[in-house]
Amino acid sequence: MSDTAPLVKIEGLHKSYGGVVKVLQGLDIEMKAGDRVVVIGPSGGGKSTLLRVLMGLEQIDGGSIVFGGKPYISANGNGKTAIDAKVRRSIGMVFQHYTLFPHLDVIGNLILAPMKVRGEKKAEAEARAMALLTRFGLAQKAKSYPAQLSGGQKQRVAIARALMLDPKLMLFDEVTSALDPELVAEVEQVILQLAKQQMPMVIVTHDMWFAKNIASRVIFCAGGVVVEDGPPEQVLGSPREERTREFIERVFHIKH
Amino acid sequence: MNYSFDFASVFRNFGPLWDGLLVTIELTIAANAIGLTFGFVLALLVMSRSPVVRLPVTLFIEFFRCTPAIIQIVWFFYCVPMLFNVFLGSVTMGILALGLNLAAFNAEAYRAAIQAVPREQLDAGVALGLTPFQRVFYIVLPTAVRNSIPVLLTNGIGIFQQSALVAIVAVQDLMYQGKTLATQTYRPIETFTIVALFYFAVSFPVSQIVGYLERRREALAS
Repeated sequence: MSDTAPLVKIEGLHKSYGGVVKVLQGLDIEMKAGDRVVVIGPSGGGKSTLLRVLMGLEQIDGGSIVFGGKPYISANGNGKTAIDAKVRRSIGMVFQHYTLFPHLDVIGNLILAPMKVRGEKKAEAEARAMALLTRFGLAQKAKSYPAQLSGGQKQRVAIARALMLDPKLMLFDEVTSALDPELVAEVEQVILQLAKQQMPMVIVTHDMWFAKNIASRVIFCAGGVVVEDGPPEQVLGSPREERTREFIERVFHIKH
Repeated sequence: MNYSFDFASVFRNFGPLWDGLLVTIELTIAANAIGLTFGFVLALLVMSRSPVVRLPVTLFIEFFRCTPAIIQIVWFFYCVPMLFNVFLGSVTMGILALGLNLAAFNAEAYRAAIQAVPREQLDAGVALGLTPFQRVFYIVLPTAVRNSIPVLLTNGIGIFQQSALVAIVAVQDLMYQGKTLATQTYRPIETFTIVALFYFAVSFPVSQIVGYLERRREALAS
C-alpha cells in the first residue's frame, strides 16, 4: 500500500441511539497509513462513538467505512449494518475500563484470541506473548491475575493483548482517563513506543501533553461532525475555528 | 418448670434419626443436581431474545419463586399422579419438587451473574475477533459461574432446610423420623432439639464457607 492511499476512509457516517440521540451526523475522515490521529472534543460530541463504530461494535444509520481499500462497514438502508468480520480482525482496540478477563492470568489473556481466532499453537502464542511482555516490562507479571495488577499495568497488558493479533490499526479510547495520575505516563510511554514503530492509530484523549507528543494529526469533533482537522501545532496551537479555540481554552486551560 | 430432661431416650434411638439424615442428604444432593443443571438451562432460556421461549420460562420460574414450597411439594405429591397418572415414589416426587424449586431460584442467580459481566468485556471480545459463541464460552460463563457460586451454595443449603417439608408427604427424612421418634418416646423437646442440631451441624459450616468465598471475591474484585 502506498503512503498516499487511504488506510481508512469514512464517508457520511451517521449514528444515533434509538433514532433520537444523534451522535454522529455526517462524519467524513480520511486517514493515511502513516497517520496517528488524536480525536478531541466535548463529551457527547461523538469521539468514543466514532472509535466504537470503527471497531465494528456499533450499528450505524448511514454512511460507509473502507479499510485498506476493502469495504468494511456500510449501512444498507433497511436499518441493518454490514460489518466485514475479517476486516475487523485487522483492527485492535484498548478501552477505558474492565479490559482484561479477570479469570485468566496475564499470559492467558494474551493467548486466548491468537489460539481461538487464528488457531495458533499454545507454545507459539506463549512465546510471542512473553516477547511482548518483556518489551513492555511486564515479563515478571505473566502469571499474575488482573486483580493483582495496578491500573497502569492492566492497560499495558491490554495493549499487548491487542498487539498479539498484529493489527494494522490501533484504537485507544481514553485509556488513561481511569488511571491515577502517577500511572498515566507508563501507559503513554508504551503507546509512544508503538508510534515510533509507525503503528497507525486513532486516539481519544484529554491529555494535552500526550496529544501534542503523539499526534501527526488532530481532529476536533463536536456535534457529531468534524469541526477542525489538521496538524497538532495548528489545531492545538492556533485553531482556526472559534469552537475549537473555546474548547481548548476550557479543557486545557490555555489562553491564545 | 420441673421438667426432667431425658436425652438418653433419644440417643437410644439414634439409628432412625441417622437414617433420616441420610435421606435428607440424598434429597439435598439430588435436588442440587437438578437445580444446578436445569437452573442453568432455564437461565439461558430466560435471556432469549424470542418471547416465545422467554415468556413460558419466565412464568415457570416465577411460579416456583412466588408460591410456598410446601404447596409445590403437596401439589407434586397429590396432583401430578392424578393429572398425569404417574407416581414415581415419594422420595423421587420430593426430589422433583425440591429440584424444580431450586432450579427456579438458581436460574435467577445465574441470570444475575451473567448480566453482571461488564459490557466492555464483551466489547473486548469483539475487538479480539472472538465469535459470539467464543465470547459466551470463554469470557462470560467462566466469570459468571464463578460469581454465582456463593448464591448457588446459599440456595443449595436453603433446599437442605426446606427438604424438611417433604416429611408431610411421608418421605422418611430427618424431620419425619424426628416426628415419629418424638411421638414414640413422648420426648418432643429432646428429639426436636437434637434434630435441629443435626440440621445446624450441616448448614452452619456451609454458610461459613459461603461467607469466606464472598469475602475472597470482594478482595479479588477489580
